[in-house]
Amino acid sequence: MTGAPVLNFQRLLPDKVALITGSGSGQGRAAAQLFADHGARVVVVDINDEGAAETVQLLEEHGGEGMAVHADVSSRPDVDRMVAAAVERYGRLDVLYNNAAVQMSGRLVDCTEEDWDLTIATNLSAIFWACRAALPHLLEDGGGSIINTASTLGLIGSEGYAAYGAAKAGLVLLTKQLAVEYGPAVRANVIAPGSIDTPRFRKVLEKTPGAEQFVDGLRRTIPVGRLGRAEDVAAIALFLASDQSAYVSGAVVPADGGLAALR
Amino acid sequence: MTIPGVAIVTGGAAGLGEAIAHRLADEGAAVVVADIDAAGARRVADALTQSGATAAAVPCDVTRGADVEQATQVAAGLGPIRVLVCSAAVESRQSVIECTDEEWQRVLDVDLKGPFLCMKAAIPHMVANGGGTVVAMGSTLGLIVAPGHPAYCAAKGGLVNLCKQAAIEHAGDNVRVNVVAPSATDTGLFIRFSAEAPDPEALRQRIADLNPMHRLGTAREVCDAVAFLASDAASYTSGCVIPIDGALAARRM
Repeated sequence: MTGAPVLNFQRLLPDKVALITGSGSGQGRAAAQLFADHGARVVVVDINDEGAAETVQLLEEHGGEGMAVHADVSSRPDVDRMVAAAVERYGRLDVLYNNAAVQMSGRLVDCTEEDWDLTIATNLSAIFWACRAALPHLLEDGGGSIINTASTLGLIGSEGYAAYGAAKAGLVLLTKQLAVEYGPAVRANVIAPGSIDTPRFRKVLEKTPGAEQFVDGLRRTIPVGRLGRAEDVAAIALFLASDQSAYVSGAVVPADGGLAALR
Repeated sequence: MTIPGVAIVTGGAAGLGEAIAHRLADEGAAVVVADIDAAGARRVADALTQSGATAAAVPCDVTRGADVEQATQVAAGLGPIRVLVCSAAVESRQSVIECTDEEWQRVLDVDLKGPFLCMKAAIPHMVANGGGTVVAMGSTLGLIVAPGHPAYCAAKGGLVNLCKQAAIEHAGDNVRVNVVAPSATDTGLFIRFSAEAPDPEALRQRIADLNPMHRLGTAREVCDAVAFLASDAASYTSGCVIPIDGALAARRM
């Protein structure tokens, strides 16, 4: 059957409008492509304009539809603008996928106040701002789905991620809060990725001494025996964005090959 | 004398923080009462001194690094810093849509960045002195949620993981970091909050009935847990969260 056309391919997001932050590359881009394949119009938000434009081009090459929006999500006016731009263009909003994040490492006593503030702003406050701006539209349009990207490091402790871990754990509780507060109409869930092999991950790796050994060690700690792929995370996001997960809210879905379960 | 050395208690001028300051003094610690309410901190420190303890008051806004550094220096002047209790906190009751930027930032700064700055300042002293222990005041709302507390839940949820991070980073330095997670206790914040209700007693009973024990917690019960975690009785316990909630979170988790 290999190569046979998929005859009854079910589009899970027909006519939905989905906004995905950080979709100029990596996990966000993979989700944008998958969402578009399933009929969604995708608002591709990124701080990197080139990456966002490239993602839109990829969508269009596959017959999808999307628009690129510039935003630095650590800036509240940018976050408000990105939501407004989506609604202005498409007239509605159904899915808000807060995927953009920064990751800085450093032990707690070495973490500067500036790094702390930037990490909390980008990985926690930004999501609050985005949800606050988007919720009236989601409610107006008959409900919707919010997906927030946390991290394995928001579920367990690890060395060297004080600000990042605190922001991501806060995000888990903020998401549960959203699920409880806006329950009947809006669902809100968390994806908690472990080590995902994205361009950003590779960039960090370049600066890591003994990178190959490090990756080998990492792989050994992951029960399924491999790093994650952006597509692994996108598949979960699609499930959470679509009506397939109509009774799932306030959940934390690990995308980590079993890492958090082991720990 | 189960807790020798110096203890810093943020938010020590009232409520749970005040009770904790007294308890740590009773256990033998010299106590630095750090609070944004300078007069209140003075009052508590004076009471401690009168009862025979060593104590000092420091005006301290935990969101300001300079204030936190000042409190740490005062503590270091009294002896080796062994205990940090991060008790300063603010509450907020606004839905996600209603919560303003200012309110969000205020709660995150006091309840999450405050403990970060305090740990960042105090832990190096503990490491230099061969060890110490941090107890952070979490909340049931850092483990489970209730509608109308987005900023508070996010901050307290973040605090749990911040403490786990610190616990792992300094496990080898003999520095332990733990969290107590009280639900509504019959003190400080909760008394002020319930007093604003049309029928305070009815509200108190309704909140008490949320948990399987059908009563509010007491300051003494929180102090017991803090004293346990701060003492050597908990010498193998780090990165842990102890709920003090009449089994409230257990039912909901």
